[in-house]
Amino acid sequence: MLLIRSTAPKSTDIDPATITANIDTSERDGFSYDPSSPPPAFGHDMLKYFGFDKEYVNVNHGSYGSLPLPVLAECNKLTLLAEANPDKWHRVTYMPLLVKAREEVATLIHAEHDEVVIVVNTTHGINAIMRNIEWREGDVILNTTVTYGAVARTAQYMADRSEAPRPKVYTVELTFPMTHAEIVAAFRAKIKEIKKNHPNTVFDILPTDTKLEGKGNRIVAIIDSISSNPGMYQPWKEMVKVCEEEGVWSLIDAAHSIGQELNIDLGATQPDFWVSNCHKWLFAKRGCAVVYVPKRNQHIIRSTMPTSHEYPSVESVRETSDTKFVLQHQWTGTMDFIPFLSVIAALKFRKWLGGEDVINGYTHKLAYEGGKHLASIFGTEVMDPSGEATLSMTNVRLPLPVEGTGPDARPIYTKAVQAQIARFLQQRFFETWNTHPGVYVHSGAVWARISVQVWTELADFEYVGKAMISICKEIEEEILANATEENEINEEKASEETVDSEKATGCWIA
Amino acid sequence: MHQFWSFDPKYINLNHGAFGAPPTPVQRASNVLSDQIEESPDRFFRIDWYPMLDSVRERLAKFIGARKEEVVLVQNATVAASVVLRNFEWRDGDILVGMSTTYRGVFKNIEHVRDTNPHITLSDFHLGFPITNAEIVKSFREHIRAIPRPAATSANPDPKIVCVLDSIVSNPGILLPWKEMVKICQEEGIYSVVDAAHSIGQEMDLNLEEAQPDFWFSNCHKWLYAKRSCAVLYVPKRNQHIVKTGFPTSHQYSSPGQPLPADWIKKTETNGDEWAVPFSWPGTVDTTPYLSVNAAMDFREWVGGEAVINEYCQNLAREGGKRLAEILGTRVMDESATFEQTLNMTNVELPLRDVPADKIEFANNVLRDRLLLEHKIYAAHFYHNGRFWTRPSAQIYNELSDFEKMGAAFVKVCKEIEATLKQDA
Repeated sequence: MLLIRSTAPKSTDIDPATITANIDTSERDGFSYDPSSPPPAFGHDMLKYFGFDKEYVNVNHGSYGSLPLPVLAECNKLTLLAEANPDKWHRVTYMPLLVKAREEVATLIHAEHDEVVIVVNTTHGINAIMRNIEWREGDVILNTTVTYGAVARTAQYMADRSEAPRPKVYTVELTFPMTHAEIVAAFRAKIKEIKKNHPNTVFDILPTDTKLEGKGNRIVAIIDSISSNPGMYQPWKEMVKVCEEEGVWSLIDAAHSIGQELNIDLGATQPDFWVSNCHKWLFAKRGCAVVYVPKRNQHIIRSTMPTSHEYPSVESVRETSDTKFVLQHQWTGTMDFIPFLSVIAALKFRKWLGGEDVINGYTHKLAYEGGKHLASIFGTEVMDPSGEATLSMTNVRLPLPVEGTGPDARPIYTKAVQAQIARFLQQRFFETWNTHPGVYVHSGAVWARISVQVWTELADFEYVGKAMISICKEIEEEILANATEENEINEEKASEETVDSEKATGCWIA
Repeated sequence: MHQFWSFDPKYINLNHGAFGAPPTPVQRASNVLSDQIEESPDRFFRIDWYPMLDSVRERLAKFIGARKEEVVLVQNATVAASVVLRNFEWRDGDILVGMSTTYRGVFKNIEHVRDTNPHITLSDFHLGFPITNAEIVKSFREHIRAIPRPAATSANPDPKIVCVLDSIVSNPGILLPWKEMVKICQEEGIYSVVDAAHSIGQEMDLNLEEAQPDFWFSNCHKWLYAKRSCAVLYVPKRNQHIVKTGFPTSHQYSSPGQPLPADWIKKTETNGDEWAVPFSWPGTVDTTPYLSVNAAMDFREWVGGEAVINEYCQNLAREGGKRLAEILGTRVMDESATFEQTLNMTNVELPLRDVPADKIEFANNVLRDRLLLEHKIYAAHFYHNGRFWTRPSAQIYNELSDFEKMGAAFVKVCKEIEATLKQDA
């Protein structure tokens, strides 16, 4: 395994006692708002409601999300309430607030209230589902080459058990740009290929099956509703239909969906599982994610992770067929519940801004137009020219060399080169330009992922354009020009390591 | 010391052991850090977070007599228990030992492991208090020795026995002779998983290098004054090969025989610290509880340090327990002359007799509602070994008069419960 040293400061260079010395914590104007007055126009006027450093041009909301200051203020109030009497808070007060938070989120995604629980983040939610599946030798987990890194590693962990029973991981190659139709076709083709290559395996276990005697195996597909790198809206609903037709389980990694994707109707779409981060696009506090498991599949979720007080015994489940999905999730050990509860204030704030349609009407349009504008500044292209995959994020090719695809083509963006670029980008992003678009390698080229939020304006795209032109020039002159020697060394190494999939994989650099 | 906490001034908190309580300087430090994170989330999560986390790990490791490379942070003790127990690859014939006093949440993890690995055996070591430490050690040794050793088979060539034991039990709040019990496990070739949820910040002079538990975890938000919630998990190097992943599995999970994809750059100096790397990123979370440990430990040093804090708390627990027993006309659970089982929590029997089994929950609910909501004074209460007990916690914001007020409240509420039950009978 190549150990890549970063230039992160050593722990001795960062002194926790002084690192926050220059932060002004006097309450800013944006901590409260008058719900009876109209909000400011979207664009930079909205920045007063967020806690960004005044110099920071935030075009990467999609990574970690950011909560509005009024939501933070409400969280601080709830914290003080909790600390006034921790026993009262944990034994009496928080529960009805959690119920309310769950109900509001369930309504937003058109799910039944008791099909929705809250966990700390999507990685956690997906891990919990995967761990609850009682894998059989011969089971298949199907992901794609753009499956989020943590989720792909989770699938790998499932397969890594040293002996049976364990599933095997298969991957659909997705090389963007690709149309939605092409993605669906590739997905279906891969399922058929798996079945064809395993003629002695019967993939007949459905999520609703409670009795497995005499049954064969299962295929569990992890499907992005919106992929991360690249940040593209996927034809996930069509893929769910393919799953239904093919008897495949659909586990939707919808980390980016809630608050960005409009018209989520899980009651209609009926995926088998769906998990989304509320702290990404919904303005909740980190970390808060919603897990949807329709009643018909709740028997699979035998335990929360970790297991806790309300875990029902085997006898109880046998008698009642009830795995107490909602009840188990109400308490999984002492934690700070405030992020879970922050969705209430977040939804209230979003309502004041005009609601989901108004917010996303703005961001989707600006993402599409801004992306095209940025591409023209670079002289390159957007990854999604038709716009069918563009919600609030856009992906634009950076003005850097593109790897050839012929038999003599040499890889430019090797692991070593990527690591160098990554270190360089972090320096330039934080110390020079004060902006941090997502940057990644995909399909032999380097791309920027821009997130659009209610504070974004076209001027932000222009600023990023200016920054990236300068940065890319430096990358070419200082890193790529000196990289040829390393390429040769790496070519030797390449025969020892599996690098084929990396050409198509979205590799998150910065 | 109330000025350093943000309790409702009308509320008397004698239950610090349940959920902890961060002093206001710790709360403030967390808010300031939170603001810093919001200034540039990318900067914080990609750069600042890792060395800050490392500084906490370093400090905690020193505090518990371990090496930094053996210490990671997780969300809470229940998560730590789950991480340890689920990383074992359970095979038919393996044995998992729990205790009747195992914390309910942790015991549910044991149950779930058994439910998903139905051919392993659960062995239950029963403890009924009052019982002296010498008796505990004796009967624990007997119990462990009596467990039939699983035979090696082709399916399970190296069968194992894993024992979950508390350093400090929750209900009752009793310090166990855990170091002797760990030694017994060592002698008998058994893995010791020490649930030390209550230990850090209450149990003095922790030295895990000396005590040598196989796994050990403790909540920093209980007695160490950190923000909720944060726990430290200790896995000595000799056992790190067992714990292959944290929960959730994330970007840095290292798969045997498969290189990490190039999209993840090691953010930390990893000289011998590789095992801990996957624990540094459990997906996006609020990191302020973990980082609040520094402010918490700074405050404790300023107040006078561990010895000063815990001497006060221990003395108050002993005196307060005695006084409470006097007022209630009952007894303290730890009857030893040296208070061998009492640190900062004491257990006192409640004047609540002849409660039928189907009314125990009712009684506990009435106690909770009356004390918490009406009398505005609270200590944990529970049914154990045929009696009701209360477990007041002594903190530096408590005084003897708190115990006296608690006594008065319990007398009232217990009379009320007994009267109600008599009526219903």
